[in-house]
Parts: sequence; structure tokens; C-alpha cells
Amino acid sequence: MGKYTLIITEKPDAAQRIAQALDGKGKPKKVEENGVPYFIAHRDRELVVVPALGHLYTVIHERGRRNYYPVFNFKWAPRHLAERGAKQIRTWIETISKLAKDAEDFIAACDYDLEGSLIGYCILKYACENKEGVAKRMKFSTLMKSELERAYEEPLPQLNFALIEAGRTRHEVDWLYGVNLSRALTLAARRWSGRYSTLSTGRVQGPTLRFLIGREKEIRSFVPTPYWEIKAEVEIKKSTCEVEYERKRIEKKAEADAVVRACTDKIGEIKEVGVRKFHQKPPIPFDIGTLQTEAYSLFGYTPRRTLGIAQRLYLDALISYPRTSSQKLPPIIDYKKILNALSKEPAYKKLASKLLEKEELKPREGAKEDPAHPAVYPTGNLPERTLSDPEKKVWDLVVKRFMAVFGETAIKQSVKIRLEVNSHNFFLRGRRILKEGWMQFYKPYARAEETLLPPIKEGETILLKRVMRDDKFTNPPPRYNPSSLLKKMEGLGIGTKATRADIIETLYNRGYVTDERMVVTDLGFDIVDILSKCAPRVISVKLTQELEKKMERIQSKSEKRENILLEAVEQLKPQLEQFKEKEGPIGEALSNAIKRARMQERIVGGCPTCGTGTLMILFSRRTRKRFIGCTNYFKGICKTSFPLPQRGTAKPMGKTCSSCGWPLVRVQIRGRRPWRLCFNPNCPLKEERRKRNEMQNLQ
Amino acid sequence: MKCRICNKEAVEKYCELHEKAYRSIVQKYEDWKRAMDISYREYLNEILKNSYTGSWAKEVVEKLMKDGDR
Repeated sequence: MGKYTLIITEKPDAAQRIAQALDGKGKPKKVEENGVPYFIAHRDRELVVVPALGHLYTVIHERGRRNYYPVFNFKWAPRHLAERGAKQIRTWIETISKLAKDAEDFIAACDYDLEGSLIGYCILKYACENKEGVAKRMKFSTLMKSELERAYEEPLPQLNFALIEAGRTRHEVDWLYGVNLSRALTLAARRWSGRYSTLSTGRVQGPTLRFLIGREKEIRSFVPTPYWEIKAEVEIKKSTCEVEYERKRIEKKAEADAVVRACTDKIGEIKEVGVRKFHQKPPIPFDIGTLQTEAYSLFGYTPRRTLGIAQRLYLDALISYPRTSSQKLPPIIDYKKILNALSKEPAYKKLASKLLEKEELKPREGAKEDPAHPAVYPTGNLPERTLSDPEKKVWDLVVKRFMAVFGETAIKQSVKIRLEVNSHNFFLRGRRILKEGWMQFYKPYARAEETLLPPIKEGETILLKRVMRDDKFTNPPPRYNPSSLLKKMEGLGIGTKATRADIIETLYNRGYVTDERMVVTDLGFDIVDILSKCAPRVISVKLTQELEKKMERIQSKSEKRENILLEAVEQLKPQLEQFKEKEGPIGEALSNAIKRARMQERIVGGCPTCGTGTLMILFSRRTRKRFIGCTNYFKGICKTSFPLPQRGTAKPMGKTCSSCGWPLVRVQIRGRRPWRLCFNPNCPLKEERRKRNEMQNLQ
Repeated sequence: MKCRICNKEAVEKYCELHEKAYRSIVQKYEDWKRAMDISYREYLNEILKNSYTGSWAKEVVEKLMKDGDR
């Protein structure tokens, strides 16, 4: 190879796409060195496209021991120096450094956002030896050939240093908070109990857990109050319809009974028929948050899963860059071209053609903007490989949402009929769609239920067929789920679009929350309790919001990195000193919480033999073997026990056997698929399986 | 003083969390009395078997019923 241009991308898939798009023949040469792939393409000159593996560099403690805090001295260093299991990063950096030596020009082609800009900058600065000042920047929102070619032909003359500075600051501030607070928690517990367990909190994680706890407290101390509703049915022209009573809630039982008595078997008169037309505007384009929320409500995918799927679809050049906060679709993306391309897919042909017949295509847009990328939209490319079911669903959702935003306003009609019975008013409601508009493009995702009413006129009389009192209670506030929590974090302005989903996942991984409807564990309560006593500022939502705003200002060059770092250190210092002073009692509280959490993890369910004990996964002191035993054994009441496989891990599933109703245990042995174990020796399923096996053996 | 239910540091009779639940129980009785004209004992029975009642509130109710306390 002679002199060439070195193009740096964020991931191997992106490198391949970019090399294919820029190579004159569309067939770049793939080279692999020590397991690191890169691509050689020929265009106006030789191009070497080399990928990163996400972040190759990270913030680490500059000097000193690992088991110490506070630490405020840090530096940027290769990731393999900071993380176990990141050995391949060393060869990756060595390969890039080697390629950089013979390169004449440098182009950063990582994703155009905070993280992507920082990834490119670190590689250019450290692996390529200070080339960050001379490198150019390719800016694109999709991995389509035409857009990549344009981005290459017209690169930005230099890196976006404001974005890089903002990214650097965020990483450094997060490191200062994360490493100090997590070390403080972990060390306090370890010094007390002598046992190690990972405890963590962070700048965003702490406040997030805190407002989850606020909700949990409301739910756990909730006392419902009763109220009553009146349910009634009428028969109109041989069809039965439900009617609503004029008061949605009746606070006194006696009053509700009086209404039932007054209206049962009475004939009512139609006093008023009100018809109202209303318009429903098309939805707005997806930013990452609304895509995650919609995918959760439609398919039950967690925000992190949706982001992962969207990222894969982006790398396949099927959709635009998903980590965007924009709800705008600028005309430059060429709506017609995309629709024309989509019409080649039979499922979208009819819908795309309908939109293409329109004289002007104007999307309905939302208010949010992102200077780096437009809203999420389909590129028009069709899949080159067979997509998995979830990928198909998310792609279909993005395509249909894109088409729906160009649709016309839907027109619906609502009918409200007032029925007077013995001086009490009941209402009959109907709803129908007069004009589908955008809804035809967003099927089956648009909610389009219709309630058709039989024709009816004022003055007609109707028999109230059934009137009954419905006993109700006020409900506690709902628990957060990963999607509603993500929305809440977005609303509060804490975390970024790229990090929120990971923070929610960490709360699960650390054992601070469980279940899809997020339940805070005792450990979660204890962590926040300790932090609110010793370091209240680090779990303050308000302070996190303020810090987020300041960090955003770095992007517009109205705030300096140094000021923010100094402020973070000044905030942390006194809190950590206070923490250290109380390390003993904190360690005790944490160790007890960890012990309780570990015990909780081993509870299988109620004992079916004695009915009062609890079945737990226990270990025999004599043989050291594990088994399931009843806690009443220690009181000399119950000797129930069941064997467990000794290899691999065994964890209670929190579910019961569909056949016998006994609790299930999940067993996982490395290299094998996990299985559900029903430990009931008399489970009918086992008997069936035994008979089936016998039959097979006989045959 | 320790919480009568969980042994944690008490605010009055209970810890901060159980105290919150206790106050809610006392406060909501007025609503129940107005709605159904029931005695305090009947009210405690009703909320104990209600699935919407929170777990801390149930623990307090059980304690109140056991001690015959208000």
C-alpha cells in the first residue's frame, strides 16, 4: 500500500458499509490483522477504513490503589488497562496505530453525536498520535451509499470540538461520581463484613433510584378508599348497550343504592342526541424516546432492546441514525425517493403509492430538534438478509410511522345520547371513524376501535334492562416499568438518550429493582437511605438536572469543561468525607441489606407440607451439597427437603408449575440451555414424561 | 426507640416508613366512615383484606389489630 486516507468508524459493520459505498466497484478488500478487520477501498485515491469497537479509551485513576477513595486525579487511557476482559482492545489500538503511520489524511466517520465524536477524537489523538487537529469529519445520518458518498466528498473541515468537549466532560464527571461513590459503598460493606459485593451508584443512577423509591413508598403505604359506580344496560332495537351514569363516582354507598332502587325496571326517555365531529392529527416522527415508548407499549420490548434493534437496523442501512432527539424530517432526506423505494416492498406498495399521488408531501413534525440528526426514518433500502422477528416489527413500525406523518387528519364522530330515568341521567356513547386519513398508514398500530350505535331519536323511550351497583376502590399510583421510567427520566432531563436505557438495566443488574413492573428491593431502599443521610446532594434530582444543563452548555461553548469538573469535585469532597466518618455504621447497614437480599434470592416459595414454613435453597454443612429445605426444620417442625442438581446455578423463578402449582427453579449449567425444574417428585408432568420415555424405549 | 414492627429507628411508635402508613390509615378512616358508616375495627378488617392496600399499611393494620390499638 502507498499513501492513503485513513477513515475511522465506530463499529466493524459501519466500516464495511462505508468501504462498500466509497469503493469504485463496491467491492472493498477485507483484511484481517490479529483479529482486527479493516477494509481497503479505491476511489479517487486509496482509502483504508478501520473500525473501532465503540470506546477504545476511557477515564482511569491516574495513580494509586484501587481500593481507595476519594480519587480526583484521572487520565484517559486504553480500555484494556481499566477493564478486565477487554484484552482485544490492545491489539485493536496497535493495528490502528500501525495503519496511522502510513496514512496521509485522516477522516473521522463515527456516529455524529457526543459518543461518536469522542470515540473518533480519542483514536485520532492517542492511537494516531495527535492527528485530531488535521482530521476531517464525515457527517451522515444514514449508511446509504448516496449519503456516504456525499459525506466523503464534502467533509467538515475539522472535528466538532465543542461536541467532543461536552462528551469528555460527561465521561469525566460520571467517572468522578461513579468511581468515588461506588468505591465508598463497596468498601464500607467489605470492611464491615469482609466479603466483596459490587455496589454502585452514579450521577444519574442515584437520583433515578430515589424517585423510584418515592413511588414505592406511596404504593406500600397506600390505603384505598371505597367509591361506587352505577352500571346499567339498555336494549335498543334488539341490541344491548351499556350506559354510563351521570356521576362517575359516588362516594356514599347509601346514595348508590338509592340510584339503583330509583332506576331498576324503569323506562327512560331520550332527551338529547349530541353529535360531534373531531379531528385527529397525524402522529409526529419518532425520536429515540418515542420509538422506545411505542415499541414497549406495542411489543413489550424494553427501551434497551429497542435501541439495540434500531442500532442493527441502522447498521443495515434500513433506518436512519436512531440516537436522535429530533422530531423533524427535513425535505433534504427526499421523501419521494424513500417512498418510491419502499413501494418495491409488496407490503408497502399500496400505501406508498397513495402518498406518492399527493401533490405535496408535508410531514407533521414535533417540537424537539437535534442539530446532529433528523428524526428516525426508513432509508428506503429493503433488507438484504432475513430479519429476525423483532427486527421486522421495529422496521415495520418505523416505516409505517414515517408514512403516517404524511397522512391527512383523521376525522372521527362521537355521539352522546342523554337518557333520563326517574330524574337520573344516563349517557350512551358511540364512536365511529368518518375518514381514516393517516390511520390507514399506521395499521395495525393506530388505535381505531369503533362503537356503533343503533339509530335513535329524541323522545324515544327505552327500558333500563339492568341497573347495578359496582363496588370500587381507589388505586395506588402505578409502578414504573422500564418504558415509563425512561419517559420520566427524559421529562426530568437526567441522563442522555444514549445512556438512560443502560442506567435502567444497571438498576436491575445490581439487584436494586426487580420485576417488569419495577419493585424496589430492600437493598435499593438501603442504598438510597444511606446516601440520603451521608451524601444527599448526589441523589438530588435537582442538582443532577442543573449539572446536565451546564454540560449541555459546553456544546454551545457557553460553559467550560474545567468549571464543571471543579464544581463536581467541590460537591463530592465534603460528601465523601462525611461518608468516611460514618463508614462503620454504613458498612453494617449495607452488609445487612446485602445479606437480606441474598437470603431473599434463595426463597423458593411456601412449604407445601407444613404450610407455615418457607422453602429455601440451602447448603448442607456436612456434605456441602445444595438442596431445597423448609425453614421450619430449624424449629424441629418440618423435615421437608428436595434434591437439586449440584452443577451450575439454581435460582427460584418466582413462577409456579403449570401442572402441579409448585414453585419452579431455573437451573443453568455453562454451555447448556437453562431449564425449569419442578422439584415436586409427584408432579403429573414427570409421570407423563416417564411414561412417554418408557413407550419410546419399548418401540 | 425502635419501630414496633421492623425494629428500625422509630419516629414515634413506628419507623419513618411505617409511620407514614399509620398516618394514612388514621386519615382514611374518616372517608370510610362517611362512605359506609363502619366501625374502626370493621374498617381495619376491610383494608387488611383489600388487595390495593400497601404492604407496610397491612403490617401496621395487623399490629393494630393484634394490640387492639388505635
